[in-house]
Amino acid sequence: MAQKRVEPGRGRKQGVVTSPKASSSNRAFYILIVVVAVVGIAALTYQSTRSKESAIASPIDSTLPPVNSAGYTIGNATAPVEVTEFGDFECPACGNFATLTEPDIRKRYVNTGKVFWRFVDFPLSGHRNTWQASRAAACADEQGKFWEFHDALYQTQDQWNGEATSNPDKYMKQLGKQLGLNTGQFDQCVDSKKMQAKIQAHYGLAVARKVGETPTFVIGDKQVPGALNYDQFAKLLDVALANAPPVAPAGGGDTAKKGVPLPATKKGP
Amino acid sequence: MTLRKSIALISLLGLLLGAYLSLYKFGYIGTLSCSVGSCETVQTSRWSVLFGLPVATWGVGFYALMLGFAIVGLEPQHEDSTRLSLATLLLAGWGVAFTAWLNYLEGFVIHAWCEFCLGSAAFVVVLFVLAMVDYRRCRSVVAEGAAS
Repeated sequence: MAQKRVEPGRGRKQGVVTSPKASSSNRAFYILIVVVAVVGIAALTYQSTRSKESAIASPIDSTLPPVNSAGYTIGNATAPVEVTEFGDFECPACGNFATLTEPDIRKRYVNTGKVFWRFVDFPLSGHRNTWQASRAAACADEQGKFWEFHDALYQTQDQWNGEATSNPDKYMKQLGKQLGLNTGQFDQCVDSKKMQAKIQAHYGLAVARKVGETPTFVIGDKQVPGALNYDQFAKLLDVALANAPPVAPAGGGDTAKKGVPLPATKKGP
Repeated sequence: MTLRKSIALISLLGLLLGAYLSLYKFGYIGTLSCSVGSCETVQTSRWSVLFGLPVATWGVGFYALMLGFAIVGLEPQHEDSTRLSLATLLLAGWGVAFTAWLNYLEGFVIHAWCEFCLGSAAFVVVLFVLAMVDYRRCRSVVAEGAAS
C-alpha cells in the first residue's frame, strides 16, 4: 500500500491527498499524452508532405470513351495541349479554381496558344441549383456567350447556389440580361429546359470516364482530380507541353472561341 | 482522476482530428474538390467557414480548451474543484449544442454527411457525459466535506 501525503487546508475539506502511486500514474499519463500528440503531429506532417510530393496526376485508362467534341472550348484548336475540365458550376472547389487559378492559366497558356481548353458539365447531385446553371450556360452558348456566363456564374456562386435561392432560374435570367444576351431568346431557352439533354450527355460522359469529383482535369494523357493552385497546374501543363507531339487536337467542341479574359469584378445582377 | 484523464485523451484525439480537417481546408492536405455524399461536400460548403475561420479550426480551439481544463484538473490542488468541473461541463455542453447544429446542417441543409464530423460529434457527446459525471463527483466530494 502506498503511503499518502496530506497537505492540510487544500483540496478536500481536510487537504489534498496525493500518493507516490497517484503521482507516478499522472506521470505515466502525461507521457502517454505527449506520445499521442507527437505521433499525431508526425502523421499530420507526413500527410501534408506526402500530398505535395506525390504525383497528383494518374495516367488515363485507354479504354475510357474519348471526350471528342463534347463541351465548350476556348483557345487555339491547334494548340499542342488540350485540357478538359469536368466541372460543376455550384461546386465551391470548382469556384475556387475558376476564380483563383483559371484566370492566370487562361492568360499564360490559353490566350498564348499553348493550350486548348474544354469545359464539360458534371453537375453533382449534392448541389441543388447546378443543373439550372448548366442549362442556362448552355443557353448562353447559343448566343456565343458561354465563357462570359461561365465566369460570371463562378464569380457569383454564393448568390445563386442552393443555399442562396430556391429560384435559380430568376437569377440566371438576370445574369443573362446583365451580360447583354437577347433576353427573349435566353429566357425562353431557360424556361423550356431544352438544354437538358445536352447537359445529360455531358454528365453521362463524365460518368463513363469514371470522373468521381469536380473539378477533374484531363491534361494530355493524365487525369487530375481536385482544384489545384496555379503552380501545381502550370507544372502539369509544362510537362504536357514538353511531351506533346506536334499535331492538332481533334474536335472543336460545342463552341470554340478565342481567349476571353475574366471580368475584373465579382458582381451579381 | 480516470474521468479527467479520459477527457484529456479524447480531447487530444479530437484536437488532432480538427487539425487534420483544418489542414485540409487550408490546402495543406489533399486538394479541394467536390464529390457526392462525402466529406468534401461538407468541407466545401459555405457552412464549413464561420467568422472567417474553418469550423474545424474552431473545433481545434474547443478541444484545446477541453484538454487544458482536463490537464489542470489532474493537478492535486484542482482534483475536486467544482468550478473547474463546471467550466468543463459548460464548455462540453456548448460543444454538444454546436455539434447538434452542425449535424442539422449536414442532414437538412447540405444533404451530405462527413465521417470526420460524425467522429468529432461522437467525441463531443462522450466528453459531455464524462464532464457531467465528473461534475457530479466533485459536487458529492464537496457535500461530503461539508457534512464531515
